[in-house]
Amino acid sequence: MTDTVVRSRRGMSRRTVLFVWNTLLAITVGLAFLIPLWWSFINSLRPGAETFSYLNPLQWQTFFTATPTLENYLALLDSDLGRAILNSLFVSVVTVIVGLGVCATAAYGLSAFKFRGQGVLFSVVILSFLIPFDAIAIPLADMFRDWNLQNTFIGLILPGIGNGMAIFLLRTFFLAIPEELVEAARLDGLGWWGVFTRIYLPLSRPALIGAGLMLFLFQWQAYVWPLLMGTDDEHILGPVALSNLQGQFQVDYGVLFAASMVLVLIPLAIILGFQRYFIQSVSTTGLK
Amino acid sequence: MTASRGRPRGGGARRVLTGPAGIALLFLLPALVSLVVLRLAPAAVALVDSFFRTTLLGGTSFVGLGNYAELFGNPDFQNSIAVTLLFTVLINPLQIAAAFLLAVLFTRRAAGSRFWRSMVILPIAVPPAVSAVIWSVIYRPDGLANGFLAVIGIPPQPFLTSQYQALLSIMILLSWIGVGYWMMFLIAGINDIPASYYEAASLDGASSWRQLWAITLPLVRRPLAFVLVADTVSNFLVFAPVQILTKGGPNGSTNLLMYDIYTRAFTFGDINRAQAEVVILVLITVVIVALQFRLLKTED
Repeated sequence: MTDTVVRSRRGMSRRTVLFVWNTLLAITVGLAFLIPLWWSFINSLRPGAETFSYLNPLQWQTFFTATPTLENYLALLDSDLGRAILNSLFVSVVTVIVGLGVCATAAYGLSAFKFRGQGVLFSVVILSFLIPFDAIAIPLADMFRDWNLQNTFIGLILPGIGNGMAIFLLRTFFLAIPEELVEAARLDGLGWWGVFTRIYLPLSRPALIGAGLMLFLFQWQAYVWPLLMGTDDEHILGPVALSNLQGQFQVDYGVLFAASMVLVLIPLAIILGFQRYFIQSVSTTGLK
Repeated sequence: MTASRGRPRGGGARRVLTGPAGIALLFLLPALVSLVVLRLAPAAVALVDSFFRTTLLGGTSFVGLGNYAELFGNPDFQNSIAVTLLFTVLINPLQIAAAFLLAVLFTRRAAGSRFWRSMVILPIAVPPAVSAVIWSVIYRPDGLANGFLAVIGIPPQPFLTSQYQALLSIMILLSWIGVGYWMMFLIAGINDIPASYYEAASLDGASSWRQLWAITLPLVRRPLAFVLVADTVSNFLVFAPVQILTKGGPNGSTNLLMYDIYTRAFTFGDINRAQAEVVILVLITVVIVALQFRLLKTED
């Protein structure tokens, strides 16, 4: 009896030690990953002249500021960077709206009907996402130049709307919609378009949100394509405008960090808002 | 139109247009057009262009595999291939091991585990170009990285301007972006393992290291295979950090394939050979992705 008590207590304490160890490790790792962003965030709250002031040696002011100011963010409002971020937002939002339409109708065509040649069409979709977009960006940019689409919003938006992965995700979801439901609706006189808008779309909100997020992040994070396609002031996107500052002789680092934070916070807010769907869309990216 | 009026011949055409296949095709059309024009056609164009050569005078001639042969004889391209291989061999095992160990750590009992885990996942939200810009400031001679090194008594390092450190510096930045993403898949895999397996192993007196090797690792094989392939593909396409931080230098030490294609096409204006390089890159990634489909299918 005493033997088991001793053993279980020793077991307990070993568990506690492990718990403390895991916690310490988790904190260390978490902070290590957070520091670059946190430092950027703090720098966005102080004048650009102070960016490199507290680094040698490191001190508490390196990671905190007693006098935060929003001046950098205000300066962003009437700078080229602010304009570029608005362009990014415009391109991403239009891509989500048009892209969801294109991808959802395609997924519907692939799941609600049974016909010969369906397999072939589906393999075109699969084939299209075997080829990563960035890999063919340069030949595509060549084509777009011939079509006079360089420095147009259409040129920036177009490659984002047909997303094989989003079609795949939506199709998987659509296939789970019971056939009886569709047959009943058809008997009641609903056309195919009606079945799509009245039955498929309302039942698939989570999948649509997941696919929408995918389309949004594709455009928001894009770099190669906007670098090739949007080079003038009116069509430049946030990431490209930000990277153009790099290496310039005089850079206001405060404004640079403020722009970085806006470019991070917008997708972050969207991801956090739709966290559930984000994880769902990530996990269907190839796992299940 | 006239055909649909004539019954014997028009019946078939009419059925195609109004039957399920025709309607399905109408729904599929916009996506198919965009996928074919915007994904498959450029790959085909690259392939065709790679067999031709355009001279300064504007004449275009068929050269067969000539562009490829010259590419492989070109020391800059050879260097780019060598750098890309070195990079691939180093970064993929490193990121996957890190993602796996972090997944194990964050599925163990610890205070605030979910909170600290979200710190690791956070960089996913940062667009690659933005990370590159942030890290370009961190890596400056008077930047944050050297500030940390000073704390542990290491003299300032040149990071991006040393040909021995630049590639490593880029790998650290990429791991900061990517590890949390890959970790999420492995956490999902680990959470799927029934707790009873570990209980049984504990009763048998297996140490936690042994459990890690004998239970966790083999049972996350499937997500691990996916992560391995997807990570490898994404690392073949790395561009923004190179273009923003090092421009392929110093001394070609960070001239990864994507950047080499970019400079060949736009700095040297050598479109045909750049297209040959695009074909090589597409082939590499298609083979890897196809392998992934294989791996994931056969395990079902």
